[in-house]
Amino acid sequence: MLYEHSVDALDKIKDAKLVKAVYVYEAPLRLWHWVNALAIVVLAITGWFIGSPTPTMQGEASDNFLFGYIRFAHFAAGYVLGIFWLVRIYWALVGNEHSIQIFVIPVWSKHWWSEVLWELRWYLFLERVPKKYIGHNPMAQLAMFMMFTVGMFIMLFTGFALYGEGLGEGSWADRLFGWVISLAGGNSLQVHNWHHLGMWLIVTFVIVHVYAAIREDIMSRQSMISTMISGWRMFKD
Amino acid sequence: MAYETQGFNVDNSGKRVVVDPVCRIEGHMRVEVNLDSNNVIRNAVSTGTMWRGIEVILKGRDPRDAWAFAERLCGVCTGTHALTSIRAVENALGITIPENANSIRNIMQLNLEIHDHLVHFYHLHALDWVDVISALKADPKATSALQQSVSPSWPLSSPGYFRDLQNRLKKFVESGQLGPFMNGYWGNPAYLLPPEANLMAVAHYLEALDFQKEIVKIHTIFGGKNPHPNWLVGGVPCAINLHDTGAVGAINMERLNMAEKIINDTITFMDQVYIPDIVAIGSFYKGWLYGGGLSGSSVLAYGDFPDKANDYSPSNLMLPRGAIINGNLNEIHPVDHADPEQIQEFVDHAWYKYPDETKGLHPWDGITEPNYVLGPNTKGTRTNIQELDESGKYSWIKAPRWRGNAMEVGPLARWVVGYAGGHAEIKGSTDKLLKDLGGVPLQAIFSTLGRTAARALEGQWSGYKQKYFFDKLVANCKAGDQSTANVEKWDPKTWPKEAKGYGFTEAPRGALGHWIRVRDGKIENYQMVVPTTWNGSPRDPKGQIGAFEASLMNTPVAKADEPLEILRTIHSFDPCLACSTH
Amino acid sequence: MIETFYDVLRRQGITRRSFLKFCSLTATSLGLGSAAVPKIVNAMESKPRTPVLWLHGLECTCCSESFIRSAHPLSKDVVLSMISLDYDDTLMAAAGHQAEAIFDEIVNKYRGQYILAVEGNPPLNEDGMFCIHAGRPFVEKLREVAKDAKAIISWGSCASWGCVQAAKPNPTRATPVHKVITDKPIIKVPGCPPIAEVMTGVITYMLTFDRLPELDRQGRPKMFYGQRIHDKCYRRPHFDAGQFVEQWDDEGARKGYCLYKVGCKGPTTYNACSTTRWNEGVSFPIASGHGCIGCSEDGFWDKGSFYDRVTDIKQFGIESNADKVGGTVAAVAGAAVAAHAAVSALTRARGKQDVKDQAGGN
Ligand code: HEM
Ligand code: HEM
Ligand code: NFV
Ligand code: SF4
Ligand code: SF4
Ligand code: F3S
Ligand SMILES: [Mg+2]
Repeated sequence: MLYEHSVDALDKIKDAKLVKAVYVYEAPLRLWHWVNALAIVVLAITGWFIGSPTPTMQGEASDNFLFGYIRFAHFAAGYVLGIFWLVRIYWALVGNEHSIQIFVIPVWSKHWWSEVLWELRWYLFLERVPKKYIGHNPMAQLAMFMMFTVGMFIMLFTGFALYGEGLGEGSWADRLFGWVISLAGGNSLQVHNWHHLGMWLIVTFVIVHVYAAIREDIMSRQSMISTMISGWRMFKD
Repeated sequence: MAYETQGFNVDNSGKRVVVDPVCRIEGHMRVEVNLDSNNVIRNAVSTGTMWRGIEVILKGRDPRDAWAFAERLCGVCTGTHALTSIRAVENALGITIPENANSIRNIMQLNLEIHDHLVHFYHLHALDWVDVISALKADPKATSALQQSVSPSWPLSSPGYFRDLQNRLKKFVESGQLGPFMNGYWGNPAYLLPPEANLMAVAHYLEALDFQKEIVKIHTIFGGKNPHPNWLVGGVPCAINLHDTGAVGAINMERLNMAEKIINDTITFMDQVYIPDIVAIGSFYKGWLYGGGLSGSSVLAYGDFPDKANDYSPSNLMLPRGAIINGNLNEIHPVDHADPEQIQEFVDHAWYKYPDETKGLHPWDGITEPNYVLGPNTKGTRTNIQELDESGKYSWIKAPRWRGNAMEVGPLARWVVGYAGGHAEIKGSTDKLLKDLGGVPLQAIFSTLGRTAARALEGQWSGYKQKYFFDKLVANCKAGDQSTANVEKWDPKTWPKEAKGYGFTEAPRGALGHWIRVRDGKIENYQMVVPTTWNGSPRDPKGQIGAFEASLMNTPVAKADEPLEILRTIHSFDPCLACSTH
Repeated sequence: MIETFYDVLRRQGITRRSFLKFCSLTATSLGLGSAAVPKIVNAMESKPRTPVLWLHGLECTCCSESFIRSAHPLSKDVVLSMISLDYDDTLMAAAGHQAEAIFDEIVNKYRGQYILAVEGNPPLNEDGMFCIHAGRPFVEKLREVAKDAKAIISWGSCASWGCVQAAKPNPTRATPVHKVITDKPIIKVPGCPPIAEVMTGVITYMLTFDRLPELDRQGRPKMFYGQRIHDKCYRRPHFDAGQFVEQWDDEGARKGYCLYKVGCKGPTTYNACSTTRWNEGVSFPIASGHGCIGCSEDGFWDKGSFYDRVTDIKQFGIESNADKVGGTVAAVAGAAVAAHAAVSALTRARGKQDVKDQAGGN
């Protein structure tokens, strides 16, 4: 069902020329997007400092709590990220057909793959006229799934597994996510490693994503950035 | 088949006796001997029966991490491999250490020397001399008198004390659950102590068990724990802070006081318990002078305990360096760890592979490649060995040689080299002991008993040297130097692309060396030649036997089915098999 | 008939009064209230003195060494009065045949009642002959003795996880006990070595309460391995404050700042060091200036340098850590994006030109 839904989203392409504006991203999804973006920025910055702390603070330990604050910000943003991710998953089930796109890849659809290839050609400057999509273009969809969706699960699972260690044995996070540490071989140092690598995966995604969004906005003659603000995709010809 | 080697006539025609496992040692070991018709040992085969491959495992790792792996070669001589390792790395990379680090390292190494010797004597070796069951027959009053005569100042000496102890022992034995004393060789005619001496020794077995856990607290203070304290390339990890705010987070006055107390208590225990016990037990066994093996002919010492930091030349070492061969005590050969012709390891009788097994390899070029094959005359199967074939490969221990000679190492070797070289403290303590034993001739030290006595003397010596370096540490701090680490070359970027070096210590069981090659910041080759590798060595291409094997030769065994004499002599080396094969 | 623990104590000349004192000390040291004392008294009076067979595989004997350091209870009291240590290569009087005979005797007499304590681990390569016991592979002996044991204690990181001999490339295939013996309750007491009082604490717990300690997900007694070094580390305020030792023997080191930046593995290590401490509470690694190397954790030997905060990732080449790998990927992505943007701008400019040209052409 979900799967067909995501193929449907792709099918709308044909109609693109006939319309000037489509309502793509519903409000909850837009809200999620910007909250998510903010949380990730906070997480990446604080996470970086957790891995490589700032130079030593002067004065008494009791007068300082810098590292504590950094970690607190990380965990708070982690909660935000996690809770909004749950909301986002819910929305994928009840929202419009675009909302499921980043979760499901129509791997069995030849047509979809041919569209991926076409988009690849476009990004390699082999096509001169861009196609127009209402939701994500298939390449973007693929990239989002591989780097963002998978990345989010990695970060949340490893993040909360590590968080569970601090909360302690038997805590909710330990009970829900403690298995991640066992999966990593039992030594949570390995989980730190995955979590740390995951950060770079997400950072890489963000770099490419932000670039692609701006570029498409300019080059593919359809709105992008404003779409994620207003929800409406405008087609310029 | 019979042949001559190193002054022994090796003949494996007689009755074969197998001891496996050899217990009360570290690790896994097997001994096989042939007895002639008079139950005298005419052939001896010693086998290291474990291998872990730490040399293989160290390849490719960060040289600064190597100590932690090397240290875990052995939890009994804990720390000595770590120290040897950081010395090897520092030697390769040209890293110097602060004076305080030198003092602390020496204190820790001496502390190991003391602890290891004490535990070895009382808990691993004593049962070869002491008949626990016979202690039940002792008269506590007579035991008390004996105790007071051998050690007048030691407080635990009243008749009541020994009576209580004897009662505890009696009830323990009567329970029928003998625990570690089960199936011992009690009543064997090779036990020579009277019941009173046995009871006194049992008391000290327990006293030493309680006390040994105090000794190691020195490691805990400076290294954070024992066994397996922490070390650092470039110095020691514990910072010193004696005057400032925050001193409670470092080595401070309270820590020093604790260390000093332990050091003083240790000296007392050595002087008032360990040495008197050696004299007491020795005086009953001084007629049993078997087990000399190679000690009177071929001994090797590397020397240790640099007085000033960073100078490892013999003149700066408090224990002597040198090699004696062919029994010529008048000539002490210099030892050079870097000379490819001096220290070499052979594997033609060991379960390893070399491209050419007729030749030995210097450790810098050493190869460790396991190759488990049994000789053609082995009895049993590959996984169920009845009798080994010593004409083939038969041990996980390599065969190290110094200029082609099999050597004995250890406290006795150090004492022989020191005595021959006129080392005042060594000579003085040895002569005193010989006198206290009632005028035993010097020759008597080349024996099982001599090995056991040298260990005790060295333990005592180490106690005083611990104090020496403690005072030195305090004096240096007083002079204003609190530094403990040199971090100039901590970063691998400061290292040469290629380097090689070696480190050595006098480990409790003898001369220990690690050789390292570093390339691109990683370990390219790491080889260790360990005391028990020397002593437990199998044969070499010339058929020369190792120190364990030599020591068993020509010893009469009272009861062929009770290997008491074999254990006694083998134990006198304090074998460590985890070390030997690594 | 096996004697009760109390019988043994009485027989050793220990009075009822000091026996009761012992029980209440046990209760305190286990963190139990005075209400638990009668329970312990009762348990001790009616419980047999348990035989223990202590085997050694590939190891370094530091676990035994640690065990004899126990201060409460003293190791001599454990060995003489609490358990019956009937087999232990390192301490026993017998050797060879006489030692081997003990196995048969104890296994037959106390079938299902003895505890098997294992220090070290069995190697599986070379048919097990990297560790030979009485001419045969150690692993065979282990299997035989495990068969009729009541429970197994895996002492130390060797028996629990493999330890340094299992480090890459693990030439002997040293294998932790639970991967060889799968049908017995196994209590892992990791650490290289474990703390002495933790070792004797686990044993006395089993004797006192006649049950196995509660274990965590990985099979370690929760009472000693339930929290990380970091959770109870006395340097934690410096961690939270952001005060770190930056380099050995710097000002931070002399003031006892947090060792996180010089590689402390306390945040990922479960052990009792920061609370129980070592050698009668004298110190523990961090208190003596060196970071925790994680010696009680599975795989501590293969997680990169002991001095790095962000550890190595072996799959990416020996020197890589997460920041190097990830940073490179991100940088490449950034560079690609920049290049792509430049080309995009060009094509676009050319595209506009084309459109203009076309328009002009019309
Ligand atoms: C941490 C930073 C960010 C993350 C993790 C992120 C993630 C995402 C994700 C997952 C989507 C897909 C939404 C969906 O279909 O469910 C998305 C869409 C989008 N994002 Fe972001 N975003 C980030 C920052 C930004 C920024 C800074 C911009 C603007 C410059 C932006 C512009 C867009 C646009 C335009 C879309 C819609 C793309 C389309 O329709 O194909 N994003 N973003
Ligand atoms: C995109 C999302 C996230 C990023 C980029 C991120 C990044 C990081 C980084 C780089 C570290 C340091 C890892 C190390 O070297 O040890 C870290 C640590 C950590 N993160 Fe995250 N993180 C994310 C999400 C989360 C979430 C959702 C949680 C859940 C609460 C979380 C909890 C933690 C915890 C508990 C630590 C360890 C803190 C410590 O050891 O003191 N993270 N994170
Ligand atoms: N042989 C040996 Fe060791 C010593 N002493 C090390 O170097 O015991 Ni384990
Ligand atoms: S766990 Fe560590 S201390 Fe114990 S035997 Fe193994 S290497 Fe030694
Ligand atoms: S020293 Fe180690 S265990 Fe202690 S607070 Fe710092 S990181 Fe944590
Ligand atoms: S190294 Fe080991 S001894 Fe404790 S502090 Fe860390 S677990
Ligand atoms: Mg070697």
